[in-house]
Amino acid sequence: MIWNKKIETMNREEMKRLQLEKLQDLVQYVYEKVPFYKEKFDAAGVKPSDIKTLSDIAKLPFTTKDEMRETYPYGLLACKPEELREIHTSSGTTGTPVVAGYTENDRTLWKEVMGRCLAMAGGSKDDVVQNAYGYGMFTGGLGVHYGAEAIGATVLPVSSGNTKRQLTFMRDFKSTILTCTPSYSLFMAEVAGEMGMDFKTFDLKAGIFGAEPWSDNMRVEIEHKLNIKAYDIYGLTEIIGPGVSCECEAQNGLHINEDYFYPEIINPETGEVLPEGEKGELVFTTLSREGTPIIRYRTRDITWLFHDSCSCGRTTVKMHRLLGRNDDMMILRGVNIFPSQIENVLMQIEGTEPHYQIIIDRSKTHLDHVELQVEVEGRLFSDETKNLEKIRDIIHNEMKQALGISLDIKLVEPKSIERSMGKAKRVIDKRDTEKEK
Amino acid sequence: MTDIETMDREALAALQLLRFKRAVTTALKTPFYKKRLQGVGIRSAEDLKTLEDIRKIPYTTKEDLREAYPYGLLAVDKDDVVRMHASSGTTGTPTVIYQTQHDLDRWTDLTARSLVAAGCGRSDVFQNMMTYGLFTGGLGLHYGAEKLGMLVIPASSGNTKRQFQLMKDFGTTVVHATPSYMLHMYNRIEEMGYSLNDFKLKKALVGAEPHSEEIRQKIEKLYTIDVYNSYGLSEMNGPSVAFECTEKKGMHLWEDSYYLEIVDKHSLEPVPDGETGELVLSILIRTATPILRYRTRDLTSIIPGKCACGRTSRRINRIVGRTDDMLIINGVNVFPSQIEEIIMKMTEVGTNYRIIVKKEGVLDKLIVQTEVGPSIFSDDARDINALKNRIAENLRASITINPAIELHEPGMLPVQQGKAIRVVDERRKPV
Repeated sequence: MIWNKKIETMNREEMKRLQLEKLQDLVQYVYEKVPFYKEKFDAAGVKPSDIKTLSDIAKLPFTTKDEMRETYPYGLLACKPEELREIHTSSGTTGTPVVAGYTENDRTLWKEVMGRCLAMAGGSKDDVVQNAYGYGMFTGGLGVHYGAEAIGATVLPVSSGNTKRQLTFMRDFKSTILTCTPSYSLFMAEVAGEMGMDFKTFDLKAGIFGAEPWSDNMRVEIEHKLNIKAYDIYGLTEIIGPGVSCECEAQNGLHINEDYFYPEIINPETGEVLPEGEKGELVFTTLSREGTPIIRYRTRDITWLFHDSCSCGRTTVKMHRLLGRNDDMMILRGVNIFPSQIENVLMQIEGTEPHYQIIIDRSKTHLDHVELQVEVEGRLFSDETKNLEKIRDIIHNEMKQALGISLDIKLVEPKSIERSMGKAKRVIDKRDTEKEK
Repeated sequence: MTDIETMDREALAALQLLRFKRAVTTALKTPFYKKRLQGVGIRSAEDLKTLEDIRKIPYTTKEDLREAYPYGLLAVDKDDVVRMHASSGTTGTPTVIYQTQHDLDRWTDLTARSLVAAGCGRSDVFQNMMTYGLFTGGLGLHYGAEKLGMLVIPASSGNTKRQFQLMKDFGTTVVHATPSYMLHMYNRIEEMGYSLNDFKLKKALVGAEPHSEEIRQKIEKLYTIDVYNSYGLSEMNGPSVAFECTEKKGMHLWEDSYYLEIVDKHSLEPVPDGETGELVLSILIRTATPILRYRTRDLTSIIPGKCACGRTSRRINRIVGRTDDMLIINGVNVFPSQIEEIIMKMTEVGTNYRIIVKKEGVLDKLIVQTEVGPSIFSDDARDINALKNRIAENLRASITINPAIELHEPGMLPVQQGKAIRVVDERRKPV
């Protein structure tokens, strides 16, 4: 079902008109209300009246995560603090948190876009949504919760963690949609196995997974192990939380709620806007946010945008599933590598499990030493060692072919790599890059 | 304050009868109550002529809820359910409360009303430190605060340092927490680099665990704030069954939405106002999961007389105890039988065990002592730790809190004569 048929199936010209109208209002609004933007616009020599077409957006300066941190807590607030109704902050694992402030209208907007996303993944009032994203300051939990409420589904607000209880509830309450990180869904499958539970006997039909990048091959794995359809959802606290975009039944790209979040792809080096279909950094402008509107936010996420005549009937622009992030991109011996590339290769090798960890070190040789720890099926450890050697060689050669560099492959027993209830920690970079400078 | 809160007692009684009848009509749609009510000759709401007739209805217990699981108490079409709050059961079967949008809206009305009673308004910044998720403490007040137009910071529980950061950076004026967490936070303010002057705190709403008037006054004095007591239980929606007004003289139990009885814990006969007994509640505003005459197991009493605030709903005293062995550990309800069931399922663990609850600082700590075979102690320390972790993990999956596990050789734990007293609650000792 298409949640908002008018918007989601709007013809391109109409959508562009709507976006331009909103953009013009937004630029005027932030220019008047947020000194931070006024100063930046003035410094760039751009006035609200200069925005005459959608492409004029390129005249506006970008906003970065660092700027959001520097202006913490209320430097980007466009309304009066007393008009705010809800606050979320990012975890701030790398320093000062980023704050998202929601007015009443912002919260309505959030519910609307999350409702659309759940509907894209086939959700309706008949569903029981088991929401295993963490509730609280993290936008994942309450965001999905609001969306499930918007479409009238039954919400089971189970929050993250306590896997055995998750599975018991999933069985007992006949949950039909699971929402969590993709890596946690695989962990659930593993625990279900230990508990003697079989997903084939569950009512679960779909999973909406996000908050970390994953691959098409991981999708195949999840769909097989959980016996469901797995959909990718995208969002970030800076923009709204979850609800920016989501996959539909076609499972081919994520429809962006572009009437609220205007997407651009830029060359991350030059900042130049790239034409549709070219790969680059994803940039968003929140066209209707009142609390903390953001102009041209550099997400650091790498993807591309495209239009196709999607079988679902939606006409909104799509983004390809993330290829990685500007900042989790690893540069190994001069080669740019995304963890998702490694994952893709692993998924195609028989006998490996979708759990891996990359450990990068430079201490011994002054060259990057990259160890790839991969879980392989337990039976391989009881077999002759030559089988282990064989699979190690296969992984090594496939990696070299795909990435262009040699990795040190270490095979480990199932479940020996630490599991995560949230975002999986795939890369451990022990290189002291500060010292190198 | 809404008109319904100051309604005169006679009009309130008429409203209660009307709503109770509606609740009976709803209840008769469920397999559980259909059988139970018909068993005492109630075939329609019209069989109730006066509020006195309510006493014909048998009590409902936690065991009944479990027996009715999963759909025995569902009175509406499944498609109309928009929320489920479930709790792990004491013997494996969970209990579940379903809500329609109408039900959630009525609950939100009550949480908003409760916040107003405690003097909160739309200009307040509300930091909700109760756990969000299946536990109703977090989401319950979230919606009321939203309705009231407060700025909500959905901090959820834990992460004390971040709680301080949020309180300071967003000028939090009202917090919602357990009383023991309020004390815990106070002890850590300086250590975490903050001072009371960093905060604009005016009020704390405390609940989810019993506490004394002395504790309230202590928190008020330490922070120089007002502290208000709240009462609720998930079977009756969650928080905002009863809430203190700014008079701080007991909690108004919202009688337009809940029918209140206090009964003698042995005879189950009504006790006069002022006398302590078990609180029995019927929810009058929920259409998805009706529950009539529910034995809460909480001991309290009605405070006779009118409240100076003008609200006519009667007040109950703070909870003074339980009529069962349920433990409340840092706001989480735990039954010893849950722990026993998990331990007995594990073959590596012997049959003798002991549950110790004590204060560690101001917070509660749960210690589970079990006996294991002597061979494990000669093994690698890693095996011992692995077993401890396994026991802790299994327990956490059921009771949601993390216990400390102590393993003992057979015969090392005291063997009780007759009925084993396996629960040692050291919190009750004077500090």
